[in-house]
Amino acid sequence: MKITKSQIEASKNEGTDNISSEERRHFLKMGLAVTGVFAGGTILSAVSTVNKTYACTGDFVEHYPYKPHYSMLINISNCIDCERCKKACAETNDVPSYGFRTTILEREMQHAIGQKREFIPVLCNHCNLPQCTRVCPTKATYKNKENGIVMMDTSKCIGCLSCQMGCPYNARYFHEEKVAVDKCNFCFDTRLSKGKKKTACADACPTGARTFGDMSDPGNFVYQQVHQLEKPVWVLRESAGTKPNVFYTKA
Amino acid sequence: MNRTKLTILALAALFVAGITGQALAEGDIIFTEPVMGVIFSHDVHVEENGMDCEECHDDLFEMEALTAQQNDDFTMQSLSEGNYCGACHDGDMAFDSDTRCASCHIGVIGYQKATGTAERSTHH
Repeated sequence: MKITKSQIEASKNEGTDNISSEERRHFLKMGLAVTGVFAGGTILSAVSTVNKTYACTGDFVEHYPYKPHYSMLINISNCIDCERCKKACAETNDVPSYGFRTTILEREMQHAIGQKREFIPVLCNHCNLPQCTRVCPTKATYKNKENGIVMMDTSKCIGCLSCQMGCPYNARYFHEEKVAVDKCNFCFDTRLSKGKKKTACADACPTGARTFGDMSDPGNFVYQQVHQLEKPVWVLRESAGTKPNVFYTKA
Repeated sequence: MNRTKLTILALAALFVAGITGQALAEGDIIFTEPVMGVIFSHDVHVEENGMDCEECHDDLFEMEALTAQQNDDFTMQSLSEGNYCGACHDGDMAFDSDTRCASCHIGVIGYQKATGTAERSTHH
């Protein structure tokens, strides 16, 4: 039977007087269950543990979720843009000339006193809350559950470039020969899984501007540099809220 | 008519200068070994700081540009031992060669800007 709009408007409001207590109870239970999920299960618990679990400058952490929890500390003062890191990376990871897994940014200040330029090495920040993996429709990019590296499964990549849009660090490019997005994976397949202790870029750096580290080890250099208050350590685009694992410092 | 032509030429020259970025100033030398892109400015040393030719030539550096970088000991270690730039850049006469890296190291980016090339490195 079809009920027209005018019929609905003409019908009498049933009111709440005739609803049985059983029906009321069902309704309230449903509401409480939904609220309970938000309060206890997801939203609140995520908020309450986020500062404890995820590294960022300022709010130092109590533990890191991965073992090893790979990270990198970059000392901007030491970077001279010799680009040996880029070269080593390209040779190790089959990076074509039109793309990059890591690159160097330049900042110039003509009227600065003393040194008038600085170089800022950048790469994938292997964020603890990555945007790229969230927006990937095929899970071609994902966070490795053991070491936290943001990885690519090229066979699943459909080249939609959503991850490129999502990344606040411009750390992804489309590899035309692989027909997939390519990015830094801390040399996992090419070096770390073969027993090498450093990424190609860190290994090639002649000035020690890049230190590869493990945040799950309190004895590690990077861990110790990040967990101190005497010398500033920061991350790029903290406001993006992605909790990066690449840290920066000077001198 | 001539004036218009000249103006157009001048504007074109400015435009070309603009797109090629900062040009290599006269007397600028860019070392490419052992790392890419280290600038030395005669302008800064001679004009601004009033140094004489003899202060560097021929004891520290030969007159011909870029000969120093052919030597195996043209390294930061050597500079800290008082050779080459390190003769003055010791933290006393001039800022220590161990500091302010990017004052002299203009890198691959700086080399490309100065020379207007996309060349990555020169190997001997």
